Amino acid sequence: MTIAMGNTVTLEQAKLLVEYLENDQQDKADQLLAEIQNPINSDLFAEIGKLTRQLHDSLMNFQLDSRLSDLASADIPDAKERLNYVIERTEEAANKTMDAVESIFPAVDEIQAQLQLVEPNWQKLMRNDIDLAGFKGLCQHIDKLLKMTGKETNNIHTLMTDVLMAQDFQDLTGQVIRKVIDLVREVEESLIGMLTAFGITESMLSERTGSEDNADNTEVKKSSPKVGKNLVEGPIINVEERDDVVADQDDVDDLLSSLGF
Amino acid sequence: MKVLVVDDFSTMRRIVKNLLRDLGFTNISEADDGSTALPMLQGGDFDFVVTDWNMPGMQGIDLLKAIRADESLAHLPVLLITAEAKKEQIVMAAQAGVNGYIVKPFTAATLKTKLEKIFQRLG
Repeated sequence: MTIAMGNTVTLEQAKLLVEYLENDQQDKADQLLAEIQNPINSDLFAEIGKLTRQLHDSLMNFQLDSRLSDLASADIPDAKERLNYVIERTEEAANKTMDAVESIFPAVDEIQAQLQLVEPNWQKLMRNDIDLAGFKGLCQHIDKLLKMTGKETNNIHTLMTDVLMAQDFQDLTGQVIRKVIDLVREVEESLIGMLTAFGITESMLSERTGSEDNADNTEVKKSSPKVGKNLVEGPIINVEERDDVVADQDDVDDLLSSLGF
Repeated sequence: MKVLVVDDFSTMRRIVKNLLRDLGFTNISEADDGSTALPMLQGGDFDFVVTDWNMPGMQGIDLLKAIRADESLAHLPVLLITAEAKKEQIVMAAQAGVNGYIVKPFTAATLKTKLEKIFQRLG
């Protein structure tokens, strides 16, 4: 630690001090010495003030750091678990729904097959063109159709209720995802807070990236997150803001046909 | 007709299988990425491949390239059903020799139309 010596002792002051001492004027000598020391003291105070401020800032940083380490050690693993829960619940819902639908298909197919058995004799009856054997057959087919339809519609009703109930994932996963969004926002704010505490501003950051990268692609790098290997990006969530993606199947078809597909 | 459905999500495989079954394809096998699909294709007499793009292990685009590079499989029609929607990717798939490209989310009608188109072209 170095202290800037604003006013050093001058030759005149030294001579005066010696004179006072030689003349036994102790009081005056002490007073002069205090006057000489005073400017040094104010420098010392300024320096102590600066150090105190630094210490305070460091403590503030430390608080930020400990929140960040909480985020890293507890909140983010917790968020990963939450997101895994979302995957599990949505998968479970999709499977429950498909279980029900896959059971409804054969039930509907069976009713349809039975209807087709009734159809020819029914048409004959409508045309007044049915014989006794045909009429007996029609009665049996209709009897079976009625019983089957009654049973299967009950069954389908229960399965449709299962489909309905499987949609409860939307509420549960929505709540979980909202919490994770809050966490992401907090991490973002903590990181910005820490950068600010270190005196790094946004403009400094962009200057830094600007000087490291080619000037022409800094804009792109800043505005779009990095895409994984093999160009894979997954579902596009901001189609309206992008011009490098297709909006729907018609766009895909148009693009492919423009390539001679 | 023997079909291989390749997707890392079992629910999506199940959806595609149900739709294909509705369109009359009953002999359907499944694989969860390109690296499990390729040996299945090389070992079995498949007639048609439906694949996702984004999968861990071997991606759909690499599976397509591997199929086109393998003399015994090169003729296989390949339909991509994927969430990947960058123009660059669609062009890349076309250049790699894809027979159809469907973006997710998609409809049963879209799948039907694309399949008809593919098989109509193959004759």
